Amino acid sequence: MSDEHDRQDGAVSLEIEVEGLRKTFGRREVLKGLSFGVPRGGFLSIFGPNGAGKTTTLRVLATLLASSGGSVKVAGHDVREDPMPVRKAIGFISHNAMLYPDLTAQENLRFYADMYGVDDREARITELLERLELSARRYDVVRTFSKGMRQRLAIARAVLHRPRVLLLDEPHSGLDPRAVDILDGLLTEIRDEHTFVMVTHNIAKGLEWGTDLMIIEGGRIAYEHAAGVDHDSFSAVYREHVHDGSVL
Amino acid sequence: MSGWSQFKAILRKDLIRELRTRDMLVSMILFVLLAMIIFHYAFTVKEGADLTYFTGGMLWVTFIFAMLLGLNRSFAQEKDEHCLDGLLLCPVDRVTIFFAKTAGNLVFLLIIQAVAVPVFALFFIERNFLGDLLPFLIVLALADLGICALGTLLATISMNTRSRDLLLPILFLPLIVPVLIAATGATTLIFAEGVSFGSLVARLLLLLGFDAVFLVAAWGTYDYAIGE
Repeated sequence: MSDEHDRQDGAVSLEIEVEGLRKTFGRREVLKGLSFGVPRGGFLSIFGPNGAGKTTTLRVLATLLASSGGSVKVAGHDVREDPMPVRKAIGFISHNAMLYPDLTAQENLRFYADMYGVDDREARITELLERLELSARRYDVVRTFSKGMRQRLAIARAVLHRPRVLLLDEPHSGLDPRAVDILDGLLTEIRDEHTFVMVTHNIAKGLEWGTDLMIIEGGRIAYEHAAGVDHDSFSAVYREHVHDGSVL
Repeated sequence: MSGWSQFKAILRKDLIRELRTRDMLVSMILFVLLAMIIFHYAFTVKEGADLTYFTGGMLWVTFIFAMLLGLNRSFAQEKDEHCLDGLLLCPVDRVTIFFAKTAGNLVFLLIIQAVAVPVFALFFIERNFLGDLLPFLIVLALADLGICALGTLLATISMNTRSRDLLLPILFLPLIVPVLIAATGATTLIFAEGVSFGSLVARLLLLLGFDAVFLVAAWGTYDYAIGE
């Protein structure tokens, strides 16, 4: 699956390739021809105001939404034509934990492990619960978890099947400082193993992690830059490009 | 990872969740028992009146409305907790989700019926129909499959709408009429007269045809139904 995407003729192989992506809901065009790529091992941080199309972009990449036009490839597979290998290749962390509140932490992870066909199910669950400091709550129903604990368990759910690509939708949203530290610690640990796309309003986190930065505004890419921009400069750029929902 | 193991995983998850919370089962059982009490008083117009010829209708109307309660709840939980996104992110054929959800609903309906039918027999049936239990169980199985297949498909379609609580019965009730006609006729005959398979064939074929139509329809459309 991966050879064809390895470096060829000196070109960087792209784990995510988006060409002219459009998405409409009824008559409303939310994405108006986005084109970008994320190299293998890259970390794309996407910023933008509410309603700009950031989460819609992520949901198209995750096969949760069908595009209305353009082409999207993840891990070498078209998300519309060949979604199964894409789903195997991605993990999705959102501010919604996507966990069943009436099941225990273990039951939730067992369910997802079975859905992804994880071979070493019990060992993998034990390993992740330990890494995320949730072993003591293994047999507790998720309904009794704090927001931070749910989010940590959601991270375990997302990386359980060892995905190549991680899609993060506001992963720091609503987390207490301890949970942010644990999430960042885990991201540091797995940083080299994955390609990331993160949608965030948190400029500091986006700059800290991103190898590439993008601002989406009104369904279009308003700004693209490689990392290396300091916080103040990027904030100025953000204000320059995004103002009251319109591109300046 | 096979479709069969994914089917089992979804079914197991739904059963564990329901048996732990009993949200759906308790409300369905209560509804069925209360409906029987209401029917008992509503139809007893004369002391000692034989209600046997009303039994099929009463039984299946009760089961269909009870199932509507359950169907609304089964997908609401998936949707409200955004668990549906988690499920759709998995590399699973959407038809597998349909069959697992249908099987889960079927199990819940059978549990309701295991409680309700003996109580119903006590209230309404004067003839001992134990000798006709096998044809009754066949009618029950075929009608239940149709109710659950159609119900699961329509609950999936309606869950993405704002008025899902209203839309589901509006879609479900007219479409379930063939099952109601066949199951009511067959059940009444069994309870009232004790009939052979021969006299039930037409009704059983109608149930079988209905099941086949909606299973095939779900097979072909579920990918779209559960999508956006």
